[in-house]
Amino acid sequence: MADDVKMNEIAAPSRRFLEAWYMFASNKAALLGLGLGILIAGVTIFGPMIYPTDPFEMVGAPMSPPGEELLLGTDFLGRDILAGIVYGARTTVLVGFAATFFTLVIGILIGVLAGFYGGWVENLLMRVTEFFQVLPALLLAMVLVALFSPSLYTIIFAIGVVSWTPVARLTRAEFLKIKEREFVMAERAIGATNWSIMWKVMLPNAAPPLIVAATLGVGVAILFEAALSFLGLGDPNAFSWGYMIGASRDFIWDTWWAVTFPGLAIFVTVLSISLIGDGLNDALNPKLRLVK
Amino acid sequence: MRTKLRKWRTTFWLLSCMVLTMGFTSAYAGTPVRGGDLITGYGQFPSHFNHAIQSGAATAVPGCNIFASLVETNTKFEPVPYLAKSWEVSSDGLTYTFHLVENATFHDGKPITSEDVAFSFEIVKANHSFGPSMLGPVDRVETPDKYTAVFKLNNPHPALFMVLSPALLPILPKHVYGDGQPIRKHPANTNPVGSGPFKLAEFKPGDYFILERNPNFFRPGQPYLDRIIGRRIKDPNANFIAMKKGDFHLAMFNGGLRLKQIESLKKEKHIVVTSKGYEAIAPVYFLEFNLRKEMFKDVRVRQAIAYAIDRKFITEKLHSGFSKAATGPLHSSFPWYTDQVNTYALNLEKANQLLDEAGYPKKADGYRFSATIAWYPGEPDSMDTLAAYMKPQLKKVGIDVQLKPPADFVSWYKHVAGWQHDMTMSNIYSWGDPMIGVHRLYLCDNQKHVVWTNTSGYCNKELDAIMAKASVETDFAERKALYAQFQQILTEDLPLIWTHEAPYQTIYHKNLNNVITSVWGAASPADKMYWTDGKMP
Amino acid sequence: MKFFYSLIKKVSYSLLLLLAVIVLNFLLLHIAPGDPVETLVAEMGGATPELIAQLRSDYGLDKSFPHQLLNYILRMAKGDLGMSFTYDQPVVKLIMGRLAATMILVLTALMLAVFLGTILGIMAAQKPKSFFSGFVTLISLAGYSAPVFWTGIMLLILFSYLVPIFPSFGMYEVGSSGNMLSYFLDVLHHLVLPALTLASIYLAVYSRIARASMMDVLGSDYIRTARSKGLSERVVVYKHALKNAVLPVITMAGLQFSQLIAGAVVVETVFSWPGMGQMAFEAILRRDHTLLLGILFFSTLIVIVVNLLTDMSYRLLDPRIK
Repeated sequence: MADDVKMNEIAAPSRRFLEAWYMFASNKAALLGLGLGILIAGVTIFGPMIYPTDPFEMVGAPMSPPGEELLLGTDFLGRDILAGIVYGARTTVLVGFAATFFTLVIGILIGVLAGFYGGWVENLLMRVTEFFQVLPALLLAMVLVALFSPSLYTIIFAIGVVSWTPVARLTRAEFLKIKEREFVMAERAIGATNWSIMWKVMLPNAAPPLIVAATLGVGVAILFEAALSFLGLGDPNAFSWGYMIGASRDFIWDTWWAVTFPGLAIFVTVLSISLIGDGLNDALNPKLRLVK
Repeated sequence: MRTKLRKWRTTFWLLSCMVLTMGFTSAYAGTPVRGGDLITGYGQFPSHFNHAIQSGAATAVPGCNIFASLVETNTKFEPVPYLAKSWEVSSDGLTYTFHLVENATFHDGKPITSEDVAFSFEIVKANHSFGPSMLGPVDRVETPDKYTAVFKLNNPHPALFMVLSPALLPILPKHVYGDGQPIRKHPANTNPVGSGPFKLAEFKPGDYFILERNPNFFRPGQPYLDRIIGRRIKDPNANFIAMKKGDFHLAMFNGGLRLKQIESLKKEKHIVVTSKGYEAIAPVYFLEFNLRKEMFKDVRVRQAIAYAIDRKFITEKLHSGFSKAATGPLHSSFPWYTDQVNTYALNLEKANQLLDEAGYPKKADGYRFSATIAWYPGEPDSMDTLAAYMKPQLKKVGIDVQLKPPADFVSWYKHVAGWQHDMTMSNIYSWGDPMIGVHRLYLCDNQKHVVWTNTSGYCNKELDAIMAKASVETDFAERKALYAQFQQILTEDLPLIWTHEAPYQTIYHKNLNNVITSVWGAASPADKMYWTDGKMP
Repeated sequence: MKFFYSLIKKVSYSLLLLLAVIVLNFLLLHIAPGDPVETLVAEMGGATPELIAQLRSDYGLDKSFPHQLLNYILRMAKGDLGMSFTYDQPVVKLIMGRLAATMILVLTALMLAVFLGTILGIMAAQKPKSFFSGFVTLISLAGYSAPVFWTGIMLLILFSYLVPIFPSFGMYEVGSSGNMLSYFLDVLHHLVLPALTLASIYLAVYSRIARASMMDVLGSDYIRTARSKGLSERVVVYKHALKNAVLPVITMAGLQFSQLIAGAVVVETVFSWPGMGQMAFEAILRRDHTLLLGILFFSTLIVIVVNLLTDMSYRLLDPRIK
């Protein structure tokens, strides 16, 4: 019976999608998250067209408070905070997605291989995963960015390297669950290659929890970028929200707005992602409780 | 200090000149009273307290309170008696005879004698990084009796009294440091037996140290403060808040504070900010071009960039008026300085025109060419902030600036010393005379794979000849004329763009008296410092 | 016996992990752009090739790669983590001096997060549809979504500047003479804001776990039986359900210990808390590789030990786990 349902799901992905959407749409918090997400996406895509001030440009008197000259005031160099938030959205979102993509690539690859092959392959890969889990992530990311000199590439690389382990474990766990299912057996019986079973049959079935993990992962990556920038390891050629906070942190008593608003932007973005992730979690894996 | 001091001979000259430009308020505000602690935050924290073997303010500031020296230097660049109660100088300037006070003891109770002076001289000469240069002319120290020390010189040394001051020649106990253990690793470096007004009471490396009053200090009644507590400050905010609340009382060498924070502190009623006490250092900041790079070979490109930079914005807005615009290679406090040079006032039109002429038209994306700027790490106000300014500012003349933040000192060093840079921001300490601190950046044959040499790759034989002449010219007017030419040629050729001079500030609580009593500023003993009414605020 | 066997296995596995950390440290040292000799030479303002060669041999940098690695492992095994050139002291000594501060912060934050998280989670689980439950969800999400340094700065502005009831930095007032009690209170006073900041992220995670597991437990037959026996709700929840609900929280706390240590880096930097994390950041800025990697090694060591302890105590508490 249970396997029939699974087969149905494969046959009718659209039905499953609709069900998930109804679940999602009935969740007020998730809808709020989605709304915020759309707003942020709007700012990211259209913001610089609507508000074309260059964030690097010193357009006002340094340290002018919000509302005096400019809506959100200026930082210690006289740069427009609002322009920084509008442009910074791009960098921040870019780092969030790129690092998550990198995380997924490593995590899924390792999880799939471990879950599919089992035996010594699994053993070895899971030991590697555990090894990375005991390393304090931010500390390792700091080391990597510092060693390779701060730039968007090194930041994305470092975030990817330190945050793939949950994805790998999740993927492996899903693979172990569905490995012995009939539809996988059936594929084997008709002589499908390991490769195609792994990627074409099993991975799509393991997708729902991975989608949730990936969504939340974007939030985690954004927080990582912010923390690195705050510690002075941001890319000075890219205006990100974390960079704004890091640059102004020496002046928080004089320009609280230069720290507060970018922080608020990060907060709202990550909150929206968390709400969406939770909603997706409830919608896609009603049984599974994802803790992160 | 990272800039190596080679000669001190000519420093004295400069220092004497500065006296004229300085006005000092009355040194005493009331009668000194004993009591109270002084809490001060350190950005750079000492790893030990023996500044006989370590240059730099981090060690010298507490070190000057732990160790006494033969003389002190007052605010008029004159030597005043300290461990030496009197002295005679022979007419040929080759023999200096010092008579020591006779009741002075080390912190362990043993008397301070001429043996200790001779020993300390040897230690400093052999181990301090300025040792060979500043004590080179001194051949030996003779000790005819317990309380007489005679310095025998090979050549006259006009700056000898400066060298004998607390910052540079602390008197160490021979019976402690001369016990045969290697001086660099001597346990007494972190647990010193000193000769000065304060004793080390507690030391937690990388965190704090506590100095307490030496009750047997040879100056009667002094020091006035009960304790000096030095706390390590990593976060400028923490120091800022502590100063603002009055929890910390003194910040030297800017105390790790950003200039904007100092500006804000200046508004506090209980805080005094002064730039006095740093007369000897005179730092000049600049943007250096690598002339090996195609676009910077053309002088018009360099001049265009000079016209594009608004020094007034840098000094007034970015530095809140704490810095002064630089006009050329020499610090404005130098007696050879001239302002009769092209000062490149902001002129974006002219900058664009020069770049067009040089054959770098604006392309479709609005840029003419792209270039990187690296910078010396560790001085955010003069480096990171300026870098953040350069990027949008040079965009206005069509130059796409890519900032290349230094991962650390070594990466920056390798980048610049390897001549890989397009542009870099940096600074030098002038150390009293152009031939010591300044020539090294421009001499044709000083193009080395070492920073703070001629890494820009500039070479002008005419300028080389002028520098050679100025190095041997003894007549001041002649020399000044040579350096005027020097400044005019360089400001036309522009291998560097000199952006600003940034003096250090000392920030302290208004109830604290006798904070700056020497041209050495904080690197002098605080035995005269006292709290009004003997009470901490 | 079985327990003993699994203990041996776990310990040897942990040792293997440690070895891997050492090898990683060594590799990172090799990737780093400046080796100790280059740093020295740069600070000396250049050196002759002969001197450089001499220094390289002094530092053992002229040996082959495997040789250097072996030397490195042997030294680490002896507890020699090298000398920090910025502090001019053995790394082990420096870390030991900072260890206590970090552990105080991390453990306080952990306890705070576990305790408050469990309580909030349980209260929310009792009335899942209530306003309070929604409030807990919101708080936990907020704590999780805000950058930790930002939370810290906001708390600083609020409680150290606008309403100055807590100190803005440090761990204690240096020079304040007093007895153990006043010292303890002093540290406690300084600890409030950093510990709250660090706890805020994990509070979110734990309250969600506690809420979920509590809802699970409350729905189980075992609790239904207890209720049917006429026990009061309070007794049911706090005596019977609590034990089962708190276990997943503790597991998670053990698993996330490494993240907590990493979070301490940021919190220590914001509050100038004199711990390992703050030292790590300084080490990075000043490129003190030996010190930095010593800290990475040490914090990993702590995590491994904590994991081992969590694992073993779990085995003792719950014999069903094999």
